Amino acid sequence: MITQKARKTIDRALTNLILIFISFLMIYPVAYALMTSFKTQGAVVTLPPSFFPKTWSLVGYEAVFHSDMFRVYLPNTAINAVLSSLLTVPLAGLAGYAFSRYKFRGSKALQLLILGLMMIPGLTNLVALYRIGSELKILSTHMIMVLVYIGGGLPFTLWIIKAFFDAIPKEMEEAALIDGCSPLQALRYVVVPLALPGLFAGFLMMMVDTWNEFLAAVVLLSANSARTATVGLYDFQSAFEIAYNVLCAACIIIMLPIVITFILGRKTFFQAMLEGALKG
Amino acid sequence: MASISVPRQGSMKSPSRFQIWRHKSYPVWLLMPTLLLLLLVQVYPTLYTFNLSLNKLKGGKLSFVGFNNFARLFASTDFVSSLSNTAVFWFYYMALTVVLGMIVALLLNKRTRFTAVYTVIIFVPWILSDVVSATMWRWMFEQSYGIVQVLLNPLLNNVSILSDDTGAMAVVILASVWRTLAFTSLLFLGALQTVPNEVKEAASLDGASSWQSFWQVIIPIVRPTLLVTILLTSIRAVNALGLILATTNGGPGSATTTASVLLYREAFQYGDFGVAAALAVILFLFNLGLTLVYFRLVKVD
Repeated sequence: MITQKARKTIDRALTNLILIFISFLMIYPVAYALMTSFKTQGAVVTLPPSFFPKTWSLVGYEAVFHSDMFRVYLPNTAINAVLSSLLTVPLAGLAGYAFSRYKFRGSKALQLLILGLMMIPGLTNLVALYRIGSELKILSTHMIMVLVYIGGGLPFTLWIIKAFFDAIPKEMEEAALIDGCSPLQALRYVVVPLALPGLFAGFLMMMVDTWNEFLAAVVLLSANSARTATVGLYDFQSAFEIAYNVLCAACIIIMLPIVITFILGRKTFFQAMLEGALKG
Repeated sequence: MASISVPRQGSMKSPSRFQIWRHKSYPVWLLMPTLLLLLLVQVYPTLYTFNLSLNKLKGGKLSFVGFNNFARLFASTDFVSSLSNTAVFWFYYMALTVVLGMIVALLLNKRTRFTAVYTVIIFVPWILSDVVSATMWRWMFEQSYGIVQVLLNPLLNNVSILSDDTGAMAVVILASVWRTLAFTSLLFLGALQTVPNEVKEAASLDGASSWQSFWQVIIPIVRPTLLVTILLTSIRAVNALGLILATTNGGPGSATTTASVLLYREAFQYGDFGVAAALAVILFLFNLGLTLVYFRLVKVD
């Protein structure tokens, strides 16, 4: 007869064992890319392949540092991501505030429309955006990317921020309004400080999405000078056919800022993702 | 001419018409920038797509052709094969994501000392870019030096997995599951945490095995989340594009060309914007249908 305590110990050990195995599978492609990024060109094309580099080398990173990836693509990514995230949060904040605090005709319908825009993936608009961009001659500019990213990110960001506003008791600003604040002042001095985690969550989600974004970028950016890191990496694949140490180094450099941000702000991420996915 | 009326006494207390108007119009001003942007970047392109699907684009000019683009699309063998590829991709991606996502969530819900560590590790693929993920998977399955390819060579008689129709499809499905598994687990985890402990304890006092209690106690409680997840996963599957494009570019041949990849290829590789727009309209309507079902499920009124 197994005692209750022994059964619990076995259960816990088994749980840990399976989770370690799953974690291993999930992280393996990333870990292997990390190891490959420190290999020499010769080690990449050695059989049988080994997981760890025999000699640690930085040639992959050097190649990336001296390529357009570092000079052109990553700065473009940073500009597009930061600009669109910085602009989206205040816009989404104002709109989220309106939905959270005001009852007006059409409010429900508009919220439903915005939720619909959040649900429906953007790829069916790609062809039209490309055509519109080429008619207006704004392809390969920061402007079109930032506009598309804001438009694409607004519904989701608005939804997250609204959920945070909803959680703040209305009495707080009513007191401020009675004291003679205008609604905008109440928003600025009472609601925003309390909803700061929500605004931050919206900003982080936007940063991750726009930093990683690939489809709109590959369609709308053809000039080399306007390309972002993900498009540049896509191009690297043909240029550096088998130089996977260089490719993997580029992967690591592109993912690093996002992974660090994620690890530092993981609680905010999880909360925002659950808000965004399940609040109906 | 109406002159400025002298404020009557007490007007400071009862709000003037202007004040009422200003108060009522406040949400309009707060929403204006967002709505204008959404009209510009989301609604207008959708209408543009509908219009483009009924036109022929030649030399930058549109000429009306009715449903000709749709007719050409339906008649092409590419379209038929893209639908069957979408169905295959959808089925395996959805089944694997839901089953594995549930297993991971059940394990994470047991709360060991390292749960937070596992969660962060499992979430790493979710925050990678499609192209970064694709590069990692292409490298593991590289035909001569890929570590997984070399490992599987004895089993597969040295067939290059990414050059094989079934193999390439399997790789894009597995890579897609890998990339989004964490999110699905998080959804299930959220639902599992709503299962009260008393319910689980009552089940175990009844002598229910954990298998029985899973089906008879836990599944009914998480059923709404399960349905929502199946729906969200289906939308994701039908619209999967970036990862497939960057991993196989729809190949070999058209083995991994799903409907969404075909949409990209028609427009940006073959330059047939009319047919691409027709396909975009079909996908859009399909997405709209699934979204309406989603609204019913989460009971948005």
